[in-house]
Amino acid sequence: MNNSFFELMNMLNHKYPLYKMIMAFGISLFWQLSAVAEEPEIEVDEQYEDSRTLSDRISFSAFLNAEWAYGYSENRHQKMEVYLEPEVEIDLFSDIRLTGIARLRGDGYDRLEPGKPDQDEIWKPSRRLIIGDHTDIELRELYLEIPFGDNYLTLGKQQIVWGKADGLKVLDVVNPQDFREFILDDFDDSRIPLWTMNLEVPISAVLLQLLWIPDRTYHNTPDSGAVYEFTAPFIVPVAPPGVLVDLQDVERPDRFFADSDVGIRLTTFWKGWDLSANYFYHFDDRPVLFQSLSITPTGPFVTIEPRYQRSHMIGGTFSNVFGDLTLRGELGYFTDRYFITNSPTDADGVFASDELSYVLGFDWFGFEDSLVSFQFFQSWVTDDESGIVRNELDTTTTLLLRHDFMNETLVTEILWLQNINNGDGMVRPKLSYEINDSVKVWAGLDIFYGDREGLFGQFQNNDRFIVGFEWGL
Amino acid sequence: MKMLNQLIQNSVGAITISALSFSPIMVNAAENDLPSGREIIERVNARDEGESVARDLLMEMTDKRGKKRERDTKSFRKYFGDEKRTVIFYQSPKNIKGTAFLTYDYPDADRDDDQWLYLPASRKVRRISASDRGDYFLGTDFTYEDIKLESKIGINDYIQKTVGEETIDGHHCYVVESIPVNEETAKELGYGRVLARIDSEIWIVRKAEFWDRKDNPLKTIQNKNISQVQGIWTTHIIDVQNHKTGHHTSFTFSNINYQAKIADSVFTERALRRGL
Repeated sequence: MNNSFFELMNMLNHKYPLYKMIMAFGISLFWQLSAVAEEPEIEVDEQYEDSRTLSDRISFSAFLNAEWAYGYSENRHQKMEVYLEPEVEIDLFSDIRLTGIARLRGDGYDRLEPGKPDQDEIWKPSRRLIIGDHTDIELRELYLEIPFGDNYLTLGKQQIVWGKADGLKVLDVVNPQDFREFILDDFDDSRIPLWTMNLEVPISAVLLQLLWIPDRTYHNTPDSGAVYEFTAPFIVPVAPPGVLVDLQDVERPDRFFADSDVGIRLTTFWKGWDLSANYFYHFDDRPVLFQSLSITPTGPFVTIEPRYQRSHMIGGTFSNVFGDLTLRGELGYFTDRYFITNSPTDADGVFASDELSYVLGFDWFGFEDSLVSFQFFQSWVTDDESGIVRNELDTTTTLLLRHDFMNETLVTEILWLQNINNGDGMVRPKLSYEINDSVKVWAGLDIFYGDREGLFGQFQNNDRFIVGFEWGL
Repeated sequence: MKMLNQLIQNSVGAITISALSFSPIMVNAAENDLPSGREIIERVNARDEGESVARDLLMEMTDKRGKKRERDTKSFRKYFGDEKRTVIFYQSPKNIKGTAFLTYDYPDADRDDDQWLYLPASRKVRRISASDRGDYFLGTDFTYEDIKLESKIGINDYIQKTVGEETIDGHHCYVVESIPVNEETAKELGYGRVLARIDSEIWIVRKAEFWDRKDNPLKTIQNKNISQVQGIWTTHIIDVQNHKTGHHTSFTFSNINYQAKIADSVFTERALRRGL
C-alpha cells in the first residue's frame, strides 16, 4: 500500500496539485448539488420560522472560566488564568447560520508563555492579539453553515475532529494543537481552529466530507523558559557539550493555494459498525529540525533549520457495541515523517520514515453510573534506523475510571497514562461538582513520573494542584 | 412526552404475574373478568402515536434540598418502517448546550439497539452501550430504557398480570403488574416490579410505581395533562418522584407537532454533531 498508493499520489500531485483536484471536485460538487438540491425537508413549522424576529434569530452566550494551578513539586504557581469566551449565533436567511466564538484570556503569572509569544507557528490572519505579557484576545471560531438539500457547506474558522480516541491522537490531526499546557488542557480548548472549507455530502448511506484548508497554522509549542517547554531528546535535539548551536527561524510554507491542506473522509453506519475512511494531505504540524554541522575557528557549530514537511495520511476508524462493552479504534499511516537521529552517518540529524499508528479503546459500562475506559496506543516507525532517538515501536496505555453521583452533579474520575517503553506516565485524579445550571467547580491533581527523556517524564517537576470554576452565561 | 409516556407504559406493559400480594389497591378484583395484562399492553403498544413527532421538552430536575436544574431540549421521533429513531438536542443551559442523544430502536428483539451520545466538550459522537438501559439518563430520574421506549412497551422484558382496577383523576384504569422475566433482565432494567394504572379508554398509563430488585419503592411516574393533539392522545407533563434519593424530574412537552416534516438526516451522527 505504502509505495504504490503514495507514489501515485505524489505523481498526481506533481502533475495536478492535490489541492486543485480536491478544490475543483468540491466546487463542482457544490454547484451540481446546489442545482439539484430539493426543497429542504428540515423539520417543523415554517410559520414559526418565518415569524421569528431579529432578536429571535440572534443568540448570545458565554463561558467565564477561571483556573488556578499550583506546582507543588517546585513550589511555584503555574497559572492563575481567567478567560471569557463569548459566542454568538445568528440565523440568517434560508437556514444559513453564522457562529462566532472569541476568547479573552488573562494569566496572572505569565509562566505558560513567558513574555510576548512570537506566534511564528500561526498563520498571520489567525494570530492572537497579544496585550502585554498577561493578556491575549483570539477569534476562536467564525463560520457560516450553509445547508442545501441534505448537504452542508461550512465556511470559516472552525474545528474538525476526526478519530475515536480520548487523550491520544492518531487521526485527530486536521487542527493543530496548542501545547502551552502540554496535553493537560481540554482538547476543545487546545485545538487550534483553522480557516477551512468543509463540504459534507451524503451519498446513499455514506457521508462524504471534503476539506480545503488554506490556513497554514501549525502546533503552538512553548518557547524556552515556559513551564511546559519540551525538553525530551526525541522531540528536541541535544547538542553535545562544547558545541555551539544556531537555531534559525522556522521556514514556513507561504503559498496560499499550493501549501494548503486537503482532506477527504467517508463515514457510514454498517451493520452496527460506525466506520470511516480518511485521507489527509497536509504539512506535519511539527517542524522538522534539520541540522548541519560546520567547523569554525571557535569549534564545532550546529545550525538548526526548522522546516515544515508534507505528509500523506491514510487511515480509518471503527466503533461498535457488544453488550456492556464499546469497542472503538483508529489507524493512520503517515508518509514522510522525520525523527531525530544520533547516527554519526546521518548528514542532517533527522531520519525520514513512514509511521503507522493505531489505538484500540474499550469502554465498559458494567457498573451503574460508571465508566471504565482502557486504550492501547502504538506508533511504529516503519523504516529501520539504529540511531533514532525515539522508540521504533512506542506503546502507551490509558485507563480512565469515572463515577457519577447525585444525578450526575458530582463526578469523580482518575485518568492514568503510561508509556510502556520508557516507564513514564501521568496520573490525573479530578473531582467536579455542578453547583447549579450555570456554575461548575472542580479540583484535581496532575502528577508526572518517570525518566526525563520520556514524553511525560520530562515534566517530572511539574506536578500540580488545580482548582477552577466555570460559569455558563 | 408521549414517548416517555409510553415508556412508562412499556415498563408497565411488561407486566407480569407474580404475587397478588404485591398489588396494593384493587378495586373490583374480579381478575378473571378483566382483560389480561398482555392484552392491555398490546392495546397500549397499538395506540396511535403518529409516524413522527417534533416537540420541545423542558426537563426540570429537583433534588431533595430543593435545588433545581433545567434543560431546554428539542426532540424528534420518526418511524422507518418498524424501526423507531429518536433524537434529543439540548438547547440550554450553556454548559450542556449542544449535547445530543440518538437511538435506533429495532423491531427485532434479538438485535441490540444502537445509541449515540454527542458531548460538545469533546466534539465527538460516542457509542453508548444499549445494555446499560437501567442507567439514569443525563441526570434525570428516567433510565435510558425509559427514554428510548417512549411509546412502546418492552413487552418481552416482563410478565404481565392484571391485578385490578382503579380510578385515577376520574378515569377508569386497569392495574397491571409487571415483573421482569428473569433476574438478568431485572438487573439490566433496574426494576424488580412495576405497577401501572392504564386508562381503559385511551390506553395511556396514568400512573406507574416502580420497585427495585429488593422490592424497595424506587420511583413513581405520573402522566398529566393528557389531551389530544392533532387527533392523537398525548401526555404533556410527566412527573417522576424517586423515593430512594428524593430527587424529582418533571418533563413538560410543548409545540407538539405530529405532522412536522422531519428529514431523515435529523437522525444521523452528523446531525448530532451539528445540532439544530
